[in-house]
Amino acid sequence: MLGKLSQLFWIFLKINLLSTSGPASVGLLYQEVVGKLVAQSQFVQAVGLSSVLPGSDALQLAMYIGYAVAGIPGGMVALIASILPPTIIILGVTLILHRIRREAWVGNFVEGLAPAISVLMVFTAWNIFQKGGATGWQGWAIGAISLVTMLLKAPAKIVILIAGLVGIVLFS
Amino acid sequence: MNEQQFSVWSRLLWMFLKVNMLSPSGPASVGLLYDEAVGKIMTEEQFVEAVGLSNLVPGSEALKLAMFVGFAAGGFPGVLTALLGSILPPTAMMLIVAAILQQLQRENWLKGFVTGMSPAVAALIVTVAWELFPASTRKIGRRTLLITALSAIAFWVKIPSPLVLVGAGILGVMLYSKRSFG
Repeated sequence: MLGKLSQLFWIFLKINLLSTSGPASVGLLYQEVVGKLVAQSQFVQAVGLSSVLPGSDALQLAMYIGYAVAGIPGGMVALIASILPPTIIILGVTLILHRIRREAWVGNFVEGLAPAISVLMVFTAWNIFQKGGATGWQGWAIGAISLVTMLLKAPAKIVILIAGLVGIVLFS
Repeated sequence: MNEQQFSVWSRLLWMFLKVNMLSPSGPASVGLLYDEAVGKIMTEEQFVEAVGLSNLVPGSEALKLAMFVGFAAGGFPGVLTALLGSILPPTAMMLIVAAILQQLQRENWLKGFVTGMSPAVAALIVTVAWELFPASTRKIGRRTLLITALSAIAFWVKIPSPLVLVGAGILGVMLYSKRSFG
């Protein structure tokens, strides 16, 4: 139990140091936990749910994964580890009075991260699609329709809910 | 503590509880937060600065923004209050839903639901990847393309993702800093 908790703590600490924003953490999180701590289906549930519920997606995703691995203590550890890096950095920044604007390398580091994170997410999306079980024409259709509607700014939570409901009809 | 300060803190707490109950995601909270905070507890200039700074720091941006706003309005106790207000609603909701879902793992309809959701979740991630890609905010330079290509190769040959990301960040420091001098 303690081993799993410290594993969770380290994973979420790492993820939050290496992602530019909340949604950007999905790709890295997938690589770090799926197949090791949680199953693919649990991860899909976590991403789906956290985009359906109101509030910060990234935190909810972290808590769901934490909870799935080690119950309520797991959820709490995941939450704390996600909050620590930005909190410490921000308290540090405000302490040294916005010095970070002159420290251009921090901004450049984050800027260099951005394209790599986008690439990682495309790889992750492909993994999720492939291992999701719906790789026949129905799966491609659901994926294509979801992609088009979301690029046209349809709310993600509604698209995902409908896709799930269609899944109940088609696959269960 | 004097009474005036206390009222700033309780206002911060209430404000962030509200924003986090109502906003579907982190980035979506920026607009709502603007309406709630600007002109009341901070100036427009302070708000713009907070949004800008939170893009510079790694981690979840909704939280970083909340902390900057909290600091502008109420110093360090303001930071902690904003953090608390932002964390409580998603925590409570997520733990309840997670607890219920764990009971349902063996249900057949849930398997169908997840199977159907998988392609849509993959599509969502592609959408987010597209939005995150620097193309939307700055013109794609050769530097950005270079980092994109190198990281694609690195992920393809299965180099561990944290290493690739650290490498991309370091490359960013090396490539982008030259621009500011010339």
